Amino acid sequence: MRSYRIPLFMMAMVLLLGLALPMVTHTAAAATSAAESKKLIYDQANLLRPQEEEALTRLARQYAPERQTDFIIYTTNNPEGRDVVKMTEDLYDRKAFGYNQPYGNAVILTMDMYNREIYLAGFGKAEQELNDSRLDKIRNKITPDLAVGNYGIAFEKYIQLSYDYMGYKFGTTPDNLLFQFWFQLLVAAAIGGIIVWIMAYRSGGVITVSRATYEDSSVSGVLDSYDNYTHTTVSKRKIEKSSSSGGGGGTSSGGHSHSGSRGSF
Amino acid sequence: MPVIDYKCPNCGSSMMFDSATGALSCPSCGRQDNIEQLPDPLKKQVFTENEVQQYHCPSCGADIVTEPETSATTCSFCGSAVVLGDRLVGDLAPDTVIPFAISKAQAEEAFRKWCRNGLLTPAGFMSADRIKSMTGIYVPFWLYELHNLVEVYGKATRVRSYTQGDYQYTETQHYDVYRKLRLDYVNLPLDASEKMNDELMDKLEPFPYEQLKEFKTPYLAGYIAEKYSYDDEQLVPRAKEKTQPYIDSSVSQSLSGYSSVSYTDKQVDTTVRRADYALLPVWLVNYDFKQKNYMFAMNGQTGKVVGKPPLSKGKITAWFAGITAAALLGMKFISWALGGDFL
Repeated sequence: MRSYRIPLFMMAMVLLLGLALPMVTHTAAAATSAAESKKLIYDQANLLRPQEEEALTRLARQYAPERQTDFIIYTTNNPEGRDVVKMTEDLYDRKAFGYNQPYGNAVILTMDMYNREIYLAGFGKAEQELNDSRLDKIRNKITPDLAVGNYGIAFEKYIQLSYDYMGYKFGTTPDNLLFQFWFQLLVAAAIGGIIVWIMAYRSGGVITVSRATYEDSSVSGVLDSYDNYTHTTVSKRKIEKSSSSGGGGGTSSGGHSHSGSRGSF
Repeated sequence: MPVIDYKCPNCGSSMMFDSATGALSCPSCGRQDNIEQLPDPLKKQVFTENEVQQYHCPSCGADIVTEPETSATTCSFCGSAVVLGDRLVGDLAPDTVIPFAISKAQAEEAFRKWCRNGLLTPAGFMSADRIKSMTGIYVPFWLYELHNLVEVYGKATRVRSYTQGDYQYTETQHYDVYRKLRLDYVNLPLDASEKMNDELMDKLEPFPYEQLKEFKTPYLAGYIAEKYSYDDEQLVPRAKEKTQPYIDSSVSQSLSGYSSVSYTDKQVDTTVRRADYALLPVWLVNYDFKQKNYMFAMNGQTGKVVGKPPLSKGKITAWFAGITAAALLGMKFISWALGGDFL
């Protein structure tokens, strides 16, 4: 049964690699950054218990070095009823957030408890890595928790998702089919099926002659032809703009551009 | 007597065609006769038609038992190579022949090697120890020269796409097109034997035509030969069928550069210019595996093997699982490279 060994060997390799690789990737994430005194959570509306705040700070500190980005949470009762986007921009201008440098890479979640609005903004590198549509996705995922008052859970998800989304390349998101196991399995099975089918089909020998084999090329060819243009038809289609619900990004009065997603909860 | 045999002028043994040297050779004393310079005994003999179809071996006198299509065989009693001359004259006279280049031993070795390379065949089949018979047979083929005049009328489009402002424009240019092609095919082979599976014989191609020789009966010495069951006119429809995809591909190649082409009229005028009767060398292998008989054919010049081998369900499953697992690993790597989780 010598012939069975190759496929079995391959399967064994797949299993081994499948187990080994996640370990490699996650050890880096586990390395906690050196204790920083930088304040990341501004809970002015007092939505979090002290231990929740502590846990969130720890999480944000842990992820910050990997993405070179600060994960900021800002909650306010907003008694003056200011605009949530303006507040976010002003906070960034005032505090000069940024993991790498002042006014550097930062993601900010702002909770406006007065208008019950939320705004997510990406500055610096995060403006591209967390563009409007990605921030929309994150916001949509945490809004249900915010609506019922699970602020601690929602904020944890925000940090976690922001961290995750920043790691996805070429505009993919975790919602992309490519990352669904059933889809990966389906594609793999289709590839396997097609290759084995071709192998079975070819086992009986295949035709290896083509028209060139028997064609007398010295006399064969086009004798006569015409290509008469008759008319042209044109159709047009409106290009669907990817609409950024919740306002999208903008530029702060301090001159810092950012991506954003706005919504209520 | 319409039966021809080849006695060695030196020692009197029955001579055979030798695929290694291409000469008529004597297995006893080693005499080699160049066939191309040998007078063909067939040319000297005159047969009356409708002769009683009973043949006797010139060496031992025994009856030669043959099927009605057989034109060359070996005497089943003394083993002498005999050629049934009356089945190779007149309309039945072959024009050309490609002699065997692969001997029986080489053919067996090549077949064994082919079995070993079967990735999906059962392990028991791969050992190739159940070869029941290996027969060298000259299969009758018609080599056609077909001249085709093809005229095609159609409508073609060229599509261009661009964006302007908020709109995506698709511009389609329409053309009336016409092509007139001359497509000549030479030496298009079609097997004329009723017994041979057409699909199998098509897969045996190509035969090396540089080995085509003027037909002489000594080439058949030691092999089985058959006469055609279908004449050159009966096979013309099959010849047209075979060239159909060639013509279609030439036509579409001549219309490349368009986004779409639809034919409004297509006419193919085919003239059969020639049909040569040729005998082409094929090794037939009968293989017994698990009480079932499998038939394989091998090109007697190139060694190409065709025929449906049994497929092992276990191996198919193993390969499918292996390839799927490898592909899944690949997908996982892609997702990992894009920033996703590995598991």
